[in-house]
Amino acid sequence: MRDVAVIGVGARPTGRLADCGLKELAYPAIWNALDDAGVGVDDLDVAYVGNSIAGLLTGQEGIRGQVVLQHSGISGIPVINVENACASGATAFRGAWLEVASGAADVALAVGVEKMFVDDSARTISALSGVSELELSQMGMQFTTSYAIHPKINLKARMDEYGWTLEDFAKPAVKNSYNGSLNPLAQHRKPRTIEEVVQSRVVVDPLTLLMCSSISDGAGAAILCSADMAKRFTSKDTIRVASCVLRSGHYKLRDYDGPDTATLCAQAAYEEAGVGPEDLDAIELHDAMAPSELMLYERLGLCGPGDGPRLIDDELTTLNGRVPVNPSGGLCSRGHPVGATGLLQIAELVTQMRGEAGDRQIEKRPKVTLAQNQGGLLMGQDSAVYSTTILTT
Amino acid sequence: MELLNPKDVRISAEAGATPCLVGAQCGECGAVVFPRLPVCPKCKKRDGMTEVEIGRTAKLYSHTIARFAPTGFRAPFFQVFVDLPEGPRIFSLVGDDCPAESGVLEDGMEMRLVVEPLADTDEMRAIHTYKYVPAACADERRGDAQDA
Ligand SMILES: [Zn+2]
Repeated sequence: MRDVAVIGVGARPTGRLADCGLKELAYPAIWNALDDAGVGVDDLDVAYVGNSIAGLLTGQEGIRGQVVLQHSGISGIPVINVENACASGATAFRGAWLEVASGAADVALAVGVEKMFVDDSARTISALSGVSELELSQMGMQFTTSYAIHPKINLKARMDEYGWTLEDFAKPAVKNSYNGSLNPLAQHRKPRTIEEVVQSRVVVDPLTLLMCSSISDGAGAAILCSADMAKRFTSKDTIRVASCVLRSGHYKLRDYDGPDTATLCAQAAYEEAGVGPEDLDAIELHDAMAPSELMLYERLGLCGPGDGPRLIDDELTTLNGRVPVNPSGGLCSRGHPVGATGLLQIAELVTQMRGEAGDRQIEKRPKVTLAQNQGGLLMGQDSAVYSTTILTT
Repeated sequence: MELLNPKDVRISAEAGATPCLVGAQCGECGAVVFPRLPVCPKCKKRDGMTEVEIGRTAKLYSHTIARFAPTGFRAPFFQVFVDLPEGPRIFSLVGDDCPAESGVLEDGMEMRLVVEPLADTDEMRAIHTYKYVPAACADERRGDAQDA
């Protein structure tokens, strides 16, 4: 495998973008990434386009990638459409990485785009349910529920097991809302207090509204090339993809007592990259429900069981802590346009590693960073998709 | 009666029979799964899975109240995971005898399977599925039926 570099990223502000369909959402992010990389459309060898639910919501069920790329001025090259639930973006990124790593392509584009604000939010919620296995969504299973009581995470049980409180659950949301308040790309820019988060409306007991990521429109993009070609396009620091690991969920019988799949995915990414959790300088992780960040600290190897809230109390994961987590504001503040999220994470980390993050710049410029993205829900008690990517300068 | 997934639920016409789920058991390692699979997720043996009636009773593993409803459902409603004595831990809903507005659930409590409409809405009223209710509610209901 060849060394692969990320030489350009693009992200557009997320939020309710009423006048934008998929095409209008995607092209500014794609153009930003191309310009950032110093790459022209003729330099591109291949493109991967991640999207999850626009088929159901807009009726554009097929060829979504070709449609948004043609609208952006890109045609003729191979285009691969990627649907992998809330990890569609990370999966598109992996496809582009693999093309370059394998030598099949020299320059590859990865795009993630999602249009979630439509006429009726019930339609969006139902479409989102569709990224769970049908037998679950037909019974009314929702993502909020899966975080609250699903055996894979069961935040409610963590309250008993670890003594975590609603205030603990609110801590990641509060921390990330501060980061988001500094991010001009973020959907929600109001810094929140513990009281506000705890006292906001209950969505699914014990999760309140401000603990949940919200519906969002958005797009992100990245340009990858063979690391030895990077300087041909850009004078900026070369950021390498040290590992890019994608896993699917395991069918877990009730007596399963092996490691969680997010843990296995992270371990594989650390091993491939030759780094450990202690080496990380920044993390963007999948806090679709804020308290899940506390569980992900464990699964990424940052702390032992139950110690998550302490990492925030001790300011280890705040913007200028030892390992800042979700400097962008994360899914709850920056926004979670599901198929775009994986690429928005990559865009944020690259921006931070180059020292270009403005008000939210981590003072000590990160050199080793990790993006964690996941999605979907299977029968058999596991999420469908897990992704961990490690970037280094 | 229209069932959401007819292959997953068995309702016998015999007097006194109670409905159950239809899972599959591996002839090799004994693992029980629901819904049925053609392969054992544990030992990976193919074609050794046989139909097995399960889930007449269950123990509540976890529960919550959804305050927002997807299309066709009506909030608030209980959402639960239950442990079947035969092995599987499955997602389910809670029957009308224990509504989210007034019902009380406690993890670990004994539950009984009922077959009821998916939700009390125009879209879902005719479609039936498996749900669970606390055993005490089910016993009370049976008592009422006998009195009448
Ligand atoms: Zn078996």
